[in-house]
Amino acid sequence: MSVSMLGDARSGKLAENIMGFGRLLRRAGLPVDSSRIALGLQAVQAVDIGSRDQLRWALESVLVSREQDRVVFGELFDAIFRNPEIAKQLMAQLLPVSKAQKESARRRPRSQEALSSPAQRQREDAAPPKEEHRLDAAMSMSDQQRLKQADFEMLSASEYRLVQRLATQIALPIPQWPSRRRMAGRRAGALHWAACLRRAAQTGGEFIELPSRVPRLRPLPVVILVDVSGSMERYARMLLAFLHAATRGAARRVFAFGSQLTDLTRAFRAEDPDDMLVQAAHAIPDFAGGTRMAESLKVLRTEHRGALIGRRSLVLVISDGLDTGDLQALDYELSWLHKQSHRMVWLNPLLRFDGYAPLAGGARVLARQSHAMLAVHNLSRLEELAEALRQLLRR
Amino acid sequence: MTPGLPDSISDWIGALQAQGYFADGRLATALHLAVRLGRPLLLEGEPGVGKTELAKAVSRVLGREMVRLQCYDGLEQRDALYEWNHAAQLLHLRLAQQSSAPEQLEREIYDPQYLIARPLLKALQAQPPGVVLLIDEVDRADEPFEAFLLEYLGEYQVSIPELGTVGAEAMPITFLTSNRTRDLHDAVKRRCLFHFMDYPDRDRELAIVRQHVPEASAQLSSQVAAFVHKLRSQPYADAFVRLPGIAESVEWAKALVALNTVHLDPEVVDSTAGVLFKQKEDVAALGSLTNDLLAPEKAA
Repeated sequence: MSVSMLGDARSGKLAENIMGFGRLLRRAGLPVDSSRIALGLQAVQAVDIGSRDQLRWALESVLVSREQDRVVFGELFDAIFRNPEIAKQLMAQLLPVSKAQKESARRRPRSQEALSSPAQRQREDAAPPKEEHRLDAAMSMSDQQRLKQADFEMLSASEYRLVQRLATQIALPIPQWPSRRRMAGRRAGALHWAACLRRAAQTGGEFIELPSRVPRLRPLPVVILVDVSGSMERYARMLLAFLHAATRGAARRVFAFGSQLTDLTRAFRAEDPDDMLVQAAHAIPDFAGGTRMAESLKVLRTEHRGALIGRRSLVLVISDGLDTGDLQALDYELSWLHKQSHRMVWLNPLLRFDGYAPLAGGARVLARQSHAMLAVHNLSRLEELAEALRQLLRR
Repeated sequence: MTPGLPDSISDWIGALQAQGYFADGRLATALHLAVRLGRPLLLEGEPGVGKTELAKAVSRVLGREMVRLQCYDGLEQRDALYEWNHAAQLLHLRLAQQSSAPEQLEREIYDPQYLIARPLLKALQAQPPGVVLLIDEVDRADEPFEAFLLEYLGEYQVSIPELGTVGAEAMPITFLTSNRTRDLHDAVKRRCLFHFMDYPDRDRELAIVRQHVPEASAQLSSQVAAFVHKLRSQPYADAFVRLPGIAESVEWAKALVALNTVHLDPEVVDSTAGVLFKQKEDVAALGSLTNDLLAPEKAA
């Protein structure tokens, strides 16, 4: 890589190139805004841009802010700064890039999409029959999934109203725990000096009341694990919508599990329950598939350890316990979860049948490892859920 | 440019190396830019890859004091920024009540001598050339603290209602570290330059082990570096929940020296596994892989 290719900073060519590269990264989903690009320009002037490595490192430290973006950055950097011609073509966004296409197999889909020209992307969107033919087997499978997702995605108007009513009328009071932050209160303890002085100021400098420092109460963090396997299909959607509305305000992490674990926390940030369900449906690749609870929990243990906060988390497992996997592994994972949580509550929709006993293998393990089992098969039972939870946590 | 400040990437690598810290080009570039552009450097990575060590090494290179703020759940402004020494203020109030006029009294009790500066204020008040500020494990503090940090890192000034605004005497060189127990807010990331720290390659690890455990024989330290490096690479890495960091390999080398080990064998690996791994499953997994890991590399 030579300086001449990049252009001279003074002539403005460098600025243009960095800007084009920044835009490309943005198209690949990296959070790069114009102030970042400006900083990138300052950065490349602080290093020796004759050295390709230094240029790369400088741009990376400025334009990348998440570990998962590093691979994409690397691929795009290589694509752009290997051949000035490609770079020029891309930035002008005029022609499809033959060289980039040849190497497509090895690149991440995100990089690929960013590198393809807008026109090309449109064409692909409009007429994908060739693609479909090639991916025959995979498509038929995902078509099935998509059909099932279709009725998962939207709440009917009546369901929507019901969820709204439930969420406002029976707010699920997340139990509270004393946080380490303190505020002024009445109980004896260390004095809250600032408050003492404020009160004294009101009474002419005399100390009549002595407020002390008491812990602020905060809702317990909640971890919700929803079974989205075939047997749970009818319940999962309403429960997700209900919990989305009812646990608003609490620190929550939400995971769906079926044949694999999906993190739904991001989807739960959506305000509207329909938005949340659409995002969740997109995120869950295996809706209404099989259940492999032990494997899913293992992923939770190894990759999302931070979701469970210092043994304070209230864990809600929503499942019918019809698991076909290895029971010993399930037992191990659930006992880990039990130990890591403040309370682990199993919400079981099958509990509606009179005389139900957790006899299926998975259900037996769940019953043994949970602090409590509660029924959630219809919405009226949800009203009782709040009270039951409160009772349970008082113990 | 401040005298004594390394002014190129290779200068930084050399200066850090003289302090016993082995940085690669990517890290040195990020560091160089952070100092040059006056931005905080956010270091992310697994525990034990040398995030905190970097700040210490930089403070030694520049001969500047290091001010460290360890974050934790429930960290409050009183612990991070400043607090009035209320007890002393009250004492003064009682003594002076008879003699002084109220306005005079108020001026007296809000005197800087009653202000207890915590790390973030200390970093601002430091005289030139300033300090190296390390805000360690930001991910452990809560979101409200992050929001406060955003303002602090943007302006490098804080306002104390009773005293007015305190600006930085000299810009601190700021490092933030995160173990990624949760994602930091994008706004905080936007203020910072970002560097993800990987485990070091074998040569760099060997240099680190040699530096920290000089009493280990050359053969032993290269065996340690090779073993740990292999363990962190595929397909072995997948077998473990938590891989050992540099800190662990240094500790391990020390343990091996303490046991008078001359070279690694399955038995000694087994008996010292607790130094490398802190989880029952991982120790068990190591047991079944030891022989593979100790097998000599095929000639490359």
